[in-house]
Amino acid sequence: MRRIDPKEAHVKPLPTPDADSQAYWHGLKDGKLLLQHCSDCGNVQFYQQVMCRQCGGENLGHRAASGRGTVHSFSVVHRAPGPAFKQDTPYAVLLVQLEEGPRMISSLVDADPAALEFDMPVELVCDPVNEHVVLPRFRPA
Amino acid sequence: MTSFAPDASGRRRSIRGETAIVGAGRSDVGRVPGKSVMALAAQAAKAALEDAGLGRSQIDGVLSSVAFAAPFHRFSVAFSEYFGIVPTFSNTLQVSGATAATMFNIAAAAIAGGLAENILIVGADSLLTGLSPDLALRSMTESRDQQYEMPFGIPVANTFAMTAHRHMKDFGTTAEQFAKVAVIHREHARRTPGAQMTEPITVDDVLNSGWVTTPYHKLDCSLISDGAVAFVVSSADRARSAFKAKPIYILGGGECYTHEHIFLMPSLTTTGAVQSSARAYAMAGCAPKDIDVAGVYDCFTGTVIMMLEDLGFCPKGEGGRFVDDRQITYGGAIPCNTHGGLLSFAHPGMPGSLLHFLEVVEQLRGICGERQVAGAELGLVHSLGAGFATQATTILGTEATL
Repeated sequence: MRRIDPKEAHVKPLPTPDADSQAYWHGLKDGKLLLQHCSDCGNVQFYQQVMCRQCGGENLGHRAASGRGTVHSFSVVHRAPGPAFKQDTPYAVLLVQLEEGPRMISSLVDADPAALEFDMPVELVCDPVNEHVVLPRFRPA
Repeated sequence: MTSFAPDASGRRRSIRGETAIVGAGRSDVGRVPGKSVMALAAQAAKAALEDAGLGRSQIDGVLSSVAFAAPFHRFSVAFSEYFGIVPTFSNTLQVSGATAATMFNIAAAAIAGGLAENILIVGADSLLTGLSPDLALRSMTESRDQQYEMPFGIPVANTFAMTAHRHMKDFGTTAEQFAKVAVIHREHARRTPGAQMTEPITVDDVLNSGWVTTPYHKLDCSLISDGAVAFVVSSADRARSAFKAKPIYILGGGECYTHEHIFLMPSLTTTGAVQSSARAYAMAGCAPKDIDVAGVYDCFTGTVIMMLEDLGFCPKGEGGRFVDDRQITYGGAIPCNTHGGLLSFAHPGMPGSLLHFLEVVEQLRGICGERQVAGAELGLVHSLGAGFATQATTILGTEATL
């Protein structure tokens, strides 16, 4: 198992795209949240992978999501997971139910976490955290 | 579901009653400065061997979990070297909090299949004094996915918090009911020698203990501890005569893995514990109403409420009221975590659930003194981890239940 170096604990973890997910992370740089659509069974899935989790087929295409969804659940973090997120507290982690079906983890922007309610509508915000990485966050719609 | 009935040739495909826990022991737990993870593991292993009346050389199999504060990839192998033994069966398992139960399932299957005779199960870690609290927390965050979860600052508590939060929305479960879980666990810990937290607490104390991640307050969350637990598992045939301690038989084991990412959990409020427990009950040939005492993974208060439902101790959505009615303590329907659990006894990480096993074994042996559940013959331990991604149910019993 990996042991975290104390210096590393102060740096926010950022995604490193792999062969499956390059299109996804590239899409976010263009302002698009890409979902995979299976042309064999019609399943829509998040996250990107080589096979459809429903039918096992490999005929998958990328399509941009509408960016609309609802808050299926949430938790407002007051005690950060390590020093890297301390200055952000309180912040809201969201479990977003996308209009197309899949769910994803994200975080709330442009609103007070205290205003969150279950099933409230939210919309995608593409948030550039550095010159290489854009994170998909959500704000009240 | 798998059928556990004999097949056409009369062969039974089940580990029911094939093996028994013949030795059990633990190290010092709680805040244990000045002891390495391996030293804690060795202390627990020596206690388990002493309990069984076995020498080190009689151990031919070792199964372990991993440790954050001693990050050996092959902990079971590293421990064997430290302990001075040369096993001919070994593995280091990792399915987060459910690892404890999987060690018993694999030990039982390995012994039934002739791979080993006496298997030492050991889990150890030093999360409280072997890592700074920041590093301990961050280490657990690292167990979330690097691309789709970690960048959003999702602590390990957060995945469980979101499930509990939705449970409140869907079933009207209240913060006070969550708090009641913590209060009852503290009552239990007060009777248990060696418990880390023994100050009495009230529902208001829990509600005023400060937010960690909503809807969880500090006292809704389990402890961070040091400690190790070990067991010896042997074949049932030998268990009857070859060991000092009263054997406790492994009657059923079931596991279920519904997802890895929290966003792919099929339902936030009904978990794979439904499937894992159904398999364990079917193998053991019993039902929830038959269980006398339980160890239910209590990483957070709401986790217990959800598991009471999924394990079949109460109907879906009624876990909060079940706890409010004190059904999880002495005199109730199913006394749970009579040692105080991860919430008040100790939570040394991976070995945490092994402490539930230790308590249920001691209850079934009838050696729990003032915290004894009278007449306990059949026990259940439910282990889980990783935001309900990993689930494992084990049913244990005395010779009378075979």
